[in-house]
Amino acid sequence: MPGRGKLIAVIGDEDTCTGFLLGGIGELNKNRKPNFLVVEKDTSITEIEETFKSFLARNDIGIILINQFIAEMIRHAIDAHMESIPAVLEIPSKEHPYDASKDSILRRAKGMFCAEDFR
Amino acid sequence: MRDQHICLDEQLLLFMDQLEALEEKRHKLNSLIEEGWFSIAKARYSMGNKQVSSLQYASEMEPLVHVEDSLMESGTVEFKCNRAENKTDELTKNNLIEDIGVKEGGLRRRINTKQKENKEEDASEQQETDHQGKTKTESPTPENRDPLKWFGILVPQNLKQAQVAFREVITLSAEIASIQSAILATRKEMQAQMKEKQEKTGKTKPEITKE
Repeated sequence: MPGRGKLIAVIGDEDTCTGFLLGGIGELNKNRKPNFLVVEKDTSITEIEETFKSFLARNDIGIILINQFIAEMIRHAIDAHMESIPAVLEIPSKEHPYDASKDSILRRAKGMFCAEDFR
Repeated sequence: MRDQHICLDEQLLLFMDQLEALEEKRHKLNSLIEEGWFSIAKARYSMGNKQVSSLQYASEMEPLVHVEDSLMESGTVEFKCNRAENKTDELTKNNLIEDIGVKEGGLRRRINTKQKENKEEDASEQQETDHQGKTKTESPTPENRDPLKWFGILVPQNLKQAQVAFREVITLSAEIASIQSAILATRKEMQAQMKEKQEKTGKTKPEITKE
């Protein structure tokens, strides 16, 4: 059953957020909280985690985009998220290229095979 | 038993195909994002450091892209991007309806003081004259909400290129999210089938040893 249009949230460094906001995903008005977080050097891990959890709790967010190096800081929170909506997508950052071995989804897919399954 | 093996093999092939598709889209996403950053850096070089930064973000933003999620029978979720440019026809229709509503509201508010009545008559007259040609400007259109405008009226071509790159990235993100959901559903299905297979082989082994 198709749902109504949902938002795309982004948690990333300044250039990542600027790029995606240029793409038109940003929402910011007096009544609602923003659907993005610009992570700077002085942004605490607690703030990142709280923002991530607030995005998960909102029912109007369909996809969460997050730089992989930021995802590493809150890996426990990302691994704990088992629902399919919102989908969490890890993206590279300028200083940290994408590493498939760290991606939560691919780690779950990789861990399903063992030697006994092929007997 | 043989059917189960064939089914399991088919699931495995599907899983591998999905992983390959994911890998391909990921590679494209990563290169588009890098292209976008490079364009932003070039724009920042020509405009100045603070001109292309979070300081320029608007105080009010309206999303131009939405994602529609639909839950399929197999348990996978499909994501589809919708841009506001596709909805301009709906917006203009809504504008027409709203204009008619406002006119009626203007008439209803004549109960108040004479000064307000005069002002409202002027406003309603203006609306009547504006209605024919200017419905689009009464409510924000996608063109007026373009985030490029936060960075100035005349922005360098590099910033426009960055916008194009990130728009493609957003569309790809929805496709990758769909494939990820499909991969997890296939994995779950395979695990259930493997468990069933192991239970059956566990039951048949004692029969073999007896023979």
